[in-house]
Amino acid sequence: MTEPTHIRNFSIIAHIDHGKSTLADRVLQLTHTVKARDMKEQVLDSMDIERERGITIKAQAVRVLYEAQDGQTYQLNLIDTPGHVDFTYEVSRSLQACEGVLLVVDAAQGVEAQTVANAMMAMNAGLEIIPVINKIDLPAAEPERVRREIEEGLAIPADEAVLTSAKSGIGILGALEAVVKRVPHPVGDANGPLKALIFDSYFDTYRGVVALIRVIDGSVSKGMSVRMMATNTVTDVEEVGVRRPANVPIDALGVGEVGYLVTGLKDPSQVRVGDTVTLAEDGATEALPGYREVKPMVFTGLYPIEGDQYPELRDALDKLQLNDPALIYDPETSHALGFGFRVGFLGLLHMEVIKERLEREFDLDLLATAPSVEYRVTKTNGEVFQIHSPQDMPDTVSTEMIEEPYFKITILVPPDFVGAIMELCEGRRATFKDMQYLSKTTVEMHYEMPLAEVIMDFFDQLKSRTKGYASLDYEFIGYQRSQLVKLDILLAGNPVDALSFIVHKDHAYDRGKVLTAKLREIIPRQMFEVPIQAAIGGRIISRETVRAIRKDVLAKCYGGDISRKRKLLEKQKEGKKRMKAVGTVEVPQEAFMAILKVDE
Amino acid sequence: MPVALYVHVPFCASKCAYCDFVSVPGSVDSADVDSFVGAVLRTLRQDVEPEVLADVPTIYIGGGTPSMLGADGLVSLLSGIAEVAHVRPDAEITVEANPDSVDAALVEALAELGRELTPAGVLRVSLGVQSFDDDVLRTLGRRHNAAATTGALALLKNAGVRVSLDLMCGIPGQSPESWRATLDTAVASGVGHVSVYPLTVEEGTPLARSVDSGQSAEPDADVAADMMETADEILHQAGIERYEIANYARPGQESLHNTGYWTGVEYLGVGPSAASMLSVRTAAKTFLERDLGLVSACTASEMPLEPGDIVSRVRFVQPPSLDEFLSGACSESVESEWLTANEASREDAMLGLRLCRGISVELVQEANVTDVIKRLEADGLLERAHEAGAVDRWRLTRRGWLVANEVFGAVWTQE
Repeated sequence: MTEPTHIRNFSIIAHIDHGKSTLADRVLQLTHTVKARDMKEQVLDSMDIERERGITIKAQAVRVLYEAQDGQTYQLNLIDTPGHVDFTYEVSRSLQACEGVLLVVDAAQGVEAQTVANAMMAMNAGLEIIPVINKIDLPAAEPERVRREIEEGLAIPADEAVLTSAKSGIGILGALEAVVKRVPHPVGDANGPLKALIFDSYFDTYRGVVALIRVIDGSVSKGMSVRMMATNTVTDVEEVGVRRPANVPIDALGVGEVGYLVTGLKDPSQVRVGDTVTLAEDGATEALPGYREVKPMVFTGLYPIEGDQYPELRDALDKLQLNDPALIYDPETSHALGFGFRVGFLGLLHMEVIKERLEREFDLDLLATAPSVEYRVTKTNGEVFQIHSPQDMPDTVSTEMIEEPYFKITILVPPDFVGAIMELCEGRRATFKDMQYLSKTTVEMHYEMPLAEVIMDFFDQLKSRTKGYASLDYEFIGYQRSQLVKLDILLAGNPVDALSFIVHKDHAYDRGKVLTAKLREIIPRQMFEVPIQAAIGGRIISRETVRAIRKDVLAKCYGGDISRKRKLLEKQKEGKKRMKAVGTVEVPQEAFMAILKVDE
Repeated sequence: MPVALYVHVPFCASKCAYCDFVSVPGSVDSADVDSFVGAVLRTLRQDVEPEVLADVPTIYIGGGTPSMLGADGLVSLLSGIAEVAHVRPDAEITVEANPDSVDAALVEALAELGRELTPAGVLRVSLGVQSFDDDVLRTLGRRHNAAATTGALALLKNAGVRVSLDLMCGIPGQSPESWRATLDTAVASGVGHVSVYPLTVEEGTPLARSVDSGQSAEPDADVAADMMETADEILHQAGIERYEIANYARPGQESLHNTGYWTGVEYLGVGPSAASMLSVRTAAKTFLERDLGLVSACTASEMPLEPGDIVSRVRFVQPPSLDEFLSGACSESVESEWLTANEASREDAMLGLRLCRGISVELVQEANVTDVIKRLEADGLLERAHEAGAVDRWRLTRRGWLVANEVFGAVWTQE
């Protein structure tokens, strides 16, 4: 065990793409934690999808040893956190394990929405914040402007900001020196009962649930009997160790140290992120603050394109959930799509990532319905319940009121685009709260807005209307009553449940019209005419028609090359298979997402 | 068993914008003609046993532009074939030609060849007319104009050569009036056979590139459908009846060779990109057995067979390179496909449905597609034929005619 005075626990926080993972890579290289031949980009992001997209989804902790300019060797624990707002809870837990952060800001992009959000989180956690202005060797770099933005916009002194280019390896030592000099060392009671924070966990097929922990008081070693305080689960520690970044077992983890703990438990729900580990007997009486359950906010129906893949989909969801307790799912049946699951996610990125992992890692072909949020319905008889799918919406007669989740939206944008943002938000039932100039080049705007509107392609619209300059952060504030109705879509006269959606009464007519028009473009012509109708209750509000195919025949003889003819037919048939047969109508997958694109 | 013969002549004066058939553009001299004809004849002598060519019912010289071979070239090609193969005295011989390469010498040579090689049969010229509207011909990138066609038709008619016209519809810029006028002119010319093809944008052609870049309008399928219906109507009134999706003839003048494609007649294709269909029994008497071994070729095929499957039919396509063909090195790189008896039946059912007379109930049973056929009947795409003597047959309905891919795909995949 290292003396706490020679331990520094820090995290790197940044807006997405500002260079967080690259900086982490350089730290590992410079401290010889990872051998040169094992070095690759984004070392700490082990999932393919993280590397490909350049994002971090799972938190990671790695111990590096650093010989500082004062000649002493320090144990630095770098805790890499997800950068996306969907995973804010994980970030906040990771920060609880640190005493300081490197706040990385892109020297060209400057302060963005998640820079602000992450910096606020670090401030609230009472952490030392060391600004790092990264990518200083970019032609568009303006470190002085960014320094002012940090000072004026975030009220963080930045005269000692570290200037780096993680990509070119410039300034990395400066960053490490700043960590050693400025981040306070951990303080704890070495003789007290064990108190350790679980800031992440993962499931190992052979060893069960492994928790990533930060020891606050006492110490933990192999064979100790410990208790997870929130779930009141007792288990014997099978192994403790540190990640470098591969697991290296050690004898014990002491005050201030960060490492892993093999719990021997098989059920991930017993080891919750944010929970406190203590001794099974004579343990701490009070848990560390801040634990809460993560709640999924966005729900979608996931259906196998081939109905017989349903059991495989269930198994795949079971497996992913082991490593991702925020993922929840319940069986759902759709007349149109058959058997599937209603799956809950932290946000849209989480949803995309899970869908992609299901398709890639488990070789499934999935159809996703348009995402929905959790509505709270009060019936006239006083009964209150939650619905996650438009299909579960009760009839209007027996409904007293419907409430929907509202979010506080923070948008950072150059002043030129304020008008564009206002226009977009007005169409999204957003209430303007306030606006503030962070600097000459950045305005911070606040809105309150239903989550249902945020998940409707809001982010993409925001980006495209601001030439990519706007950045977004959002936070749940509560439920508000809304005038909501269910809009049904009928294809060839039959309602298609998977196309229904919930919409504000005032928008129902417009959205219905736009959606039927959109569907007319998406649904290919078929053997028969296909009427597309939008209806509220029993009332049709708009109608479009996909005309029947007139001509679909290979007339040419190709000199008797029938193999070629047959291949063309097989290709045509294959194309149809990628569509979902809804009654007699062949519907392409994108039709189920069409509602998200109504602003295009 | 009769085996029909197809020869692909890969020469064209220039490439038309829409065409993806294999041909080498440019002029052709007598050395080119000699080496090509020599390679065809050598292939027939060396790559197949004489038995395969013991009973040739039809010969089709396609392309490309076979008329580019000139009178002498065609004479040496066809006479040469007649020396190697046994051509039935009542055989049908077809030569494709473009109006601009038809002259008096060529017509005279063809008429003479017909009298000589198929005294009881017929020699046809299939003329690539496409349109009688010069603007439309320009859009297609054709070299000839309507006047050239009229001249060629007169020569052929005077020599007593039977003619078929290829016409094309659904061309961007082609008006319904232009199309009607073309059909009327075709009828007035007195021909007994007409083929009507809607313009298709084939991958990799200049037309496809031009459509992709937005320079050319994409052919409109609805317009093409209208035009195909117009053709059916006008030709029918003139006594030229549709007998296949795209082919019309006065009774008795239907193309035997093309009908063979739809009715499971074996054929051997020679020349770059030429396609063949042979029974396994016949294939065993070709280079497929000698050079590749049927078994090894079978395992290399695209449609791997399951143990116990009995191969009944082989389809293969020669490589597209002219140089490879001339050097005689092509047999190793043919693309082959091996079909089981059931697949062959399904293919026969699918192809037979192209014909207006349709397919027999027996074939439907043999191909094991009764359920599919019933569904297609319920969808209004197929019907039972009711003419005398043809009661137990299935055929496309009028609606099914223009959306027949739905039928073909369903029959082939049994879904």
